[in-house]
Amino acid sequence: MLFSEWLELVCEIFTPSGRIAAQRFVPCSQRSWAREFRAPLLVAVLTLAGASLSAREVTDQTGRRVNIPEHPERLVSLAPSITETLYALGLGDRLVGDTDYCEYPPEAKNKPHVGAILNPSLEKIVALKPDLVLGSPEANRIETVDRLARLGIPLYGVTAHTVDETLNSIEDLGQVLGRGVEARELVKSLRQRIQAVERSVMGRGRPKVLFVVWYRPLTTAGARTFIGDVIRRAGGASISDDLPGEWPRLSLEEALRRDPEVILFPRSESFAPQLAEFQRLPGWRELRAVRNRRMYFVSDAIVRPSPRLVDALEEVARVLHPPEGAPQEAER
Amino acid sequence: MTLAVTRRNVVTLTLALVAGLLLVGLGALALGGVHLSLGEVWGGLRGTAAQPEASTIVREIRLPRILLAMLVGAALAVSGTALQALLRNPLADPYVLGISSGAALGAIVALYVGGRVAAASPLVAFAGALLTTAWVYLLGRRAGRLASYTLVLAGVITASFLSAVILFVLTLLSTRDVRGIAFWLMGDLSVVTDVQLRILLPVVALGILALYAFAKDLNVLLLGEEEAAHLGVNVARVQTAVYVLASLLTGMAVSVSGAIGYLGLLVPHLGRLVVGNDHRMLLPTAALGGAIVLTLSDTLARTAVAPAELPVGAVTAVAGAPVFIYLLRRAAG
Repeated sequence: MLFSEWLELVCEIFTPSGRIAAQRFVPCSQRSWAREFRAPLLVAVLTLAGASLSAREVTDQTGRRVNIPEHPERLVSLAPSITETLYALGLGDRLVGDTDYCEYPPEAKNKPHVGAILNPSLEKIVALKPDLVLGSPEANRIETVDRLARLGIPLYGVTAHTVDETLNSIEDLGQVLGRGVEARELVKSLRQRIQAVERSVMGRGRPKVLFVVWYRPLTTAGARTFIGDVIRRAGGASISDDLPGEWPRLSLEEALRRDPEVILFPRSESFAPQLAEFQRLPGWRELRAVRNRRMYFVSDAIVRPSPRLVDALEEVARVLHPPEGAPQEAER
Repeated sequence: MTLAVTRRNVVTLTLALVAGLLLVGLGALALGGVHLSLGEVWGGLRGTAAQPEASTIVREIRLPRILLAMLVGAALAVSGTALQALLRNPLADPYVLGISSGAALGAIVALYVGGRVAAASPLVAFAGALLTTAWVYLLGRRAGRLASYTLVLAGVITASFLSAVILFVLTLLSTRDVRGIAFWLMGDLSVVTDVQLRILLPVVALGILALYAFAKDLNVLLLGEEEAAHLGVNVARVQTAVYVLASLLTGMAVSVSGAIGYLGLLVPHLGRLVVGNDHRMLLPTAALGGAIVLTLSDTLARTAVAPAELPVGAVTAVAGAPVFIYLLRRAAG
């Protein structure tokens, strides 16, 4: 039953000679909506059939089969990390749209935006005429992915949970977008930088680290996150590695019991004002990290599976193991 | 200022509201995150637009969403109207009675089983709504009849109990899942599917028509249960039928759109100010009024901060409360 039929039913009930009134009332256009409402599916199928001439079926990083063009020319990114990776691969000029939160590199801010990460405007995406949308299950909602699929717009899923997976993800994305060589070069240099960091912290002590993802409730990062991985590689021992889940919550007394030597915060605008409040938490002054003033802000790229994750790694290694003689860059 | 209840007035009013609804619907079609001229909208609607994107935007993104807003708005407003009459309580509303909390918990259970929230699992959410309905109904039944105050109390307590369970489950879920649920809980019309519309349309339409069949009984019930019984109304039967139908409408609406508050409260009272307390007038007014109000709210949600979108539940609450207070005070003065 469709809208016009429903209207007819209502008219029929409210008027003595319903049928005639209903036919007079429901305009022709209304009837054709009803018929055409079934059409989109057919259109989507035809679009797919037409596109497949120059398309190939690939498995994306989340394991979905997806038909993508041989040479994607108009890309829309639905996650800041993907936007960064595209620019790093020299694909900035093919990016036709990104999200309101894509702020790095600065050029990304000037691209047309499709809205927020969790609820991008579907019509904005359609209007940008992308031949490939790039999204991530860590950032976007599955409902958005489903809707795009039904609109016949291919979406390639990008995902990574560790430093290694990030490198693989960058290489894979380069392969899919015809930048295989550049991606391999980029990943090679990133690997060298990672190895340099790992060599530099080898044999040095492993300070106990608390990474504060959010302070109320006190939320930290589990082992299987970029943060856990970066801390480990930077020569630290996260006090939350043994806790279950990606973002375990920590009671303050448990934090006190585990007594971190270093506390790290993401350097983000939304976090800085909260710090004063955080420091007023009961028992806070008793922490070794607070007594020794070893609290640092580190790049918020630490939560982004993009090439800048390695910048964050280098930064964390610097604050955990400051070079001899160098002044500590304590921000508080 | 209320209209006399004649068949002529009912028809005129309904047609006027239908015309208003169509006008609002067409206006909503023309507005959105992407600017389209009226010509492009019309061309897109008829599938003759020069640009295929215009057609996709109008027919596959805006039209289904507007139809969904209309259906959900009508369902929530009618079920609010019916519940207020049934319980002789102006504060009755699907949310107060815990029905929507049941649907929400159902959706979260669906997430465990199927890995998704609203898109794939409206039926589980609906099952949650129906189970809650049955539970509150059993609690609220006394000597074969619904005792209105017991029912309201049972609903309020069940609602807060279920909300607590939802919060508890949310703390156990991963961040990724919680984001999706939080979004859905705020009221979200953005991810409608054809399938959902095809289920929703006939159920909501038939549910509203079935409730309309009880319009006279609801009028009599307003006098009190004993009086209604004396006047030949089978009170228990009417109560059960109206309660189940209202739950059905709410369950369907909540399962696809999440928690859109205020509509079930605001629209019926708006309607009463205009057409009075006769349900032969009030029910169609609430149905079409609800459709109009939610379509307007969702259009605002889509366009106010475009290309980002607001949760429509926030729009109905923020816009609804002041309007409601103003109308109440004006009516009192």
